[in-house]
Amino acid sequence: MADSIDRRDFFKGAALGAAGLVVTTEKTADAAAVPASPPPVTLPTNAHAHDLAYAQAQQSAVAAPVRATVTSQGRPASDFMVDVLKKIGFEYAAINPGSTFQGLHESLINYGKNTAPELLTCLHEEAAVAMAHGYAKAAGKPMLVAVHGTVGLLHSSMALFQAWADRVPVVLIVGHHRNPSGVINRPHSAQDMGLLVRSFVKFDDEATTLERFAEATMRAYKIAMTPPMGPVVLTVAAELQESIVTNEPRIPELVVPAPPQGEAAAVREAARLLVNAESPLIQIAKLGRTPKAWDLLIELADLLQAPVDTMGYSSWQKFPSWHPLYGTGGRGYTPDVTLGLEVTDMSAQARAARANNRKTISISAEHLFQGSNIHDYGRYADVDLAIAADAEATLPSLIEEIRRQMTPARKSVVQARGQRVAAAHKEGQLDGIREARHGWDASPVSVPRLIAELGSQITNDDWAIVSGHQFTGDWQRRLLNHDKPYRYNGDCGGFGIGYDTPASVGGALAHKKSGRLSVAIVGDGDLNFSPGVLWTAAHHKIPLLFIVHNNRAYHAEVMIIQRMCGVRGRGNENAHIGNVIADPDPNYAALAKAYGMYSEGPIEHPKDLQGAYQRALAKVRAGEPALIDVVSQPR
Amino acid sequence: MKTLTLGAFLAVAVTVSAQAPAPLAAPTGNAQRGKVVFETQLRCFACHGYDGQTGSPRLVPMARAEDVFLAYVRKPATQGMPSFAAISEQQLRDVYAYIRSIPQAAPSPESVPLIKGILDRRSKAN
Repeated sequence: MADSIDRRDFFKGAALGAAGLVVTTEKTADAAAVPASPPPVTLPTNAHAHDLAYAQAQQSAVAAPVRATVTSQGRPASDFMVDVLKKIGFEYAAINPGSTFQGLHESLINYGKNTAPELLTCLHEEAAVAMAHGYAKAAGKPMLVAVHGTVGLLHSSMALFQAWADRVPVVLIVGHHRNPSGVINRPHSAQDMGLLVRSFVKFDDEATTLERFAEATMRAYKIAMTPPMGPVVLTVAAELQESIVTNEPRIPELVVPAPPQGEAAAVREAARLLVNAESPLIQIAKLGRTPKAWDLLIELADLLQAPVDTMGYSSWQKFPSWHPLYGTGGRGYTPDVTLGLEVTDMSAQARAARANNRKTISISAEHLFQGSNIHDYGRYADVDLAIAADAEATLPSLIEEIRRQMTPARKSVVQARGQRVAAAHKEGQLDGIREARHGWDASPVSVPRLIAELGSQITNDDWAIVSGHQFTGDWQRRLLNHDKPYRYNGDCGGFGIGYDTPASVGGALAHKKSGRLSVAIVGDGDLNFSPGVLWTAAHHKIPLLFIVHNNRAYHAEVMIIQRMCGVRGRGNENAHIGNVIADPDPNYAALAKAYGMYSEGPIEHPKDLQGAYQRALAKVRAGEPALIDVVSQPR
Repeated sequence: MKTLTLGAFLAVAVTVSAQAPAPLAAPTGNAQRGKVVFETQLRCFACHGYDGQTGSPRLVPMARAEDVFLAYVRKPATQGMPSFAAISEQQLRDVYAYIRSIPQAAPSPESVPLIKGILDRRSKAN
């Protein structure tokens, strides 16, 4: 098999073709190759030296015949691959094009008619995977991603890491060449492609035959969706994609395993501890694979009248923010039994409990975890009762058992506790809301003002915040009533910047069908990692309001470096170097306009927010994305 | 006797704690110069907001007396706060004067319709 022209240099190749460089094609992929003599390289008169160097290299790459196929010669193997993907039911495939999957790409758009999956054109592979990450959390199922061999996979690696750390399923196909020739194709191929990202994917495989492709794809999907969920990678050689089907294999059925439930005796013991606790606390992190978890958790909390701690930025936070039991119980509430539901790391709680003769229970699929190169699994959790099971799947039996063990005497204790906790939470939350008054009229705009103005205009919408809140503190949950499971889509998982902007587009895409109003509050630092995704949102008409929390810096790092300057006694005069994004001040409204999106800003005065939000939200409600650039206080 | 002594002590303590804090003495530094130091040299706004009100902890209203403020900034009690040991005393007095010059009154929550609306909705939520 010979090699093909590489995609990133397609336009250069086209220019060369116009200048007389002819690509030779073969009739079938498997036909014996008859090398054509390479034509002489000629270039336009205005060509540069590097064009000649490229042309010579390219000529080497195309000296052997190209694998272009004539469709009348048979059924392309990549058409069969599309049938497999359709059987799984992918709605979308986020791609950044590459010649190592040109066969599959062509089949998706022509044979597959660009529906289910529909291609989403992404301008960076990290954005493609991050979109899939945000989509999976909002839609409850994976998006397909296809990327170029090595280069595309490496670009996507950061977002795969985030999905891994967030326990979110993504199915990624990467192309390569099994027998690469030419200076361009060789670097796009690898002996072991999956090795490049194996530290942070749950499964990877290479499909070497069509039968294996069908099985590996089904297996990859199942593994991605089985708790603890995670991204998976499937390598598919260009040669296989572009071959002709000779003996079509059967496509197996996709059966995603039912998630594991907690063992009955262990669940009984957990219920016993919780029913008899004087001050239980429920902590949650990666709980909420499906919306059912939301209702089940409310039921559990109400039954125990136990506060629910949503555990900050690493949590999906699937509990209503204005619920009377939302919080940690109020001042002085010291839990004697702590129940962790899909909490990745309970080691600190367990250590503290051991030291004080208190109990910890962990129900999590993390106990089934087999190992990782990444330290996100934390320290050893010295809990009293560990149940290796999916917490969401275990909640029904735990609730049933608690009901069974709850005596009238305990019920009255529980009710009294609930009243105390609710009163403490309510007063604390009202105080938290009142804090928004500080700096209310400040310029640049304060973060609570930015959020409160938004909240006032979406009260009658079915809204969803599709960005994280790592850089806006807990103001979202203080000022907006997160009363539905989709109100908040979680944070990045791996505490790496560059997730919010593209993941928001994926989340908004998932909400598009239901007509929900999607809003993302993204930092300027985050936006600058994948600004091209603004074009993707505009191009695919994904309705979403971006609000840029533009504090003109990587602000967390500003504070960190200032502290370091202080520790070393060298003054703060230079602390901004390497941290601020100013001088010149980027104009994000202009950036959005350049990508074809409605935008306003920069807005520096809070009095200008209301009108800008109104105009932008009108666009979003009409089905378009829009962006408002708000120059904001640092914190 | 012991009881009486303790009771007398508590009575004094309650009396002292019920008194309003003594008003702070007027700053001695130059607020205009202090604003420049606050924003460009010490870059205090990074944690405390441009007007000392939006960050954490808030600097306005300033509760510390001038010399207490100077001592704290030179040797903070928390890890998160940088130590500004090298800066001149006059510059710190200027910064203090600037912070004291910032208008203190945040609006009452009930006087801001948006905040009042949120408080009402939260109150009704449960």
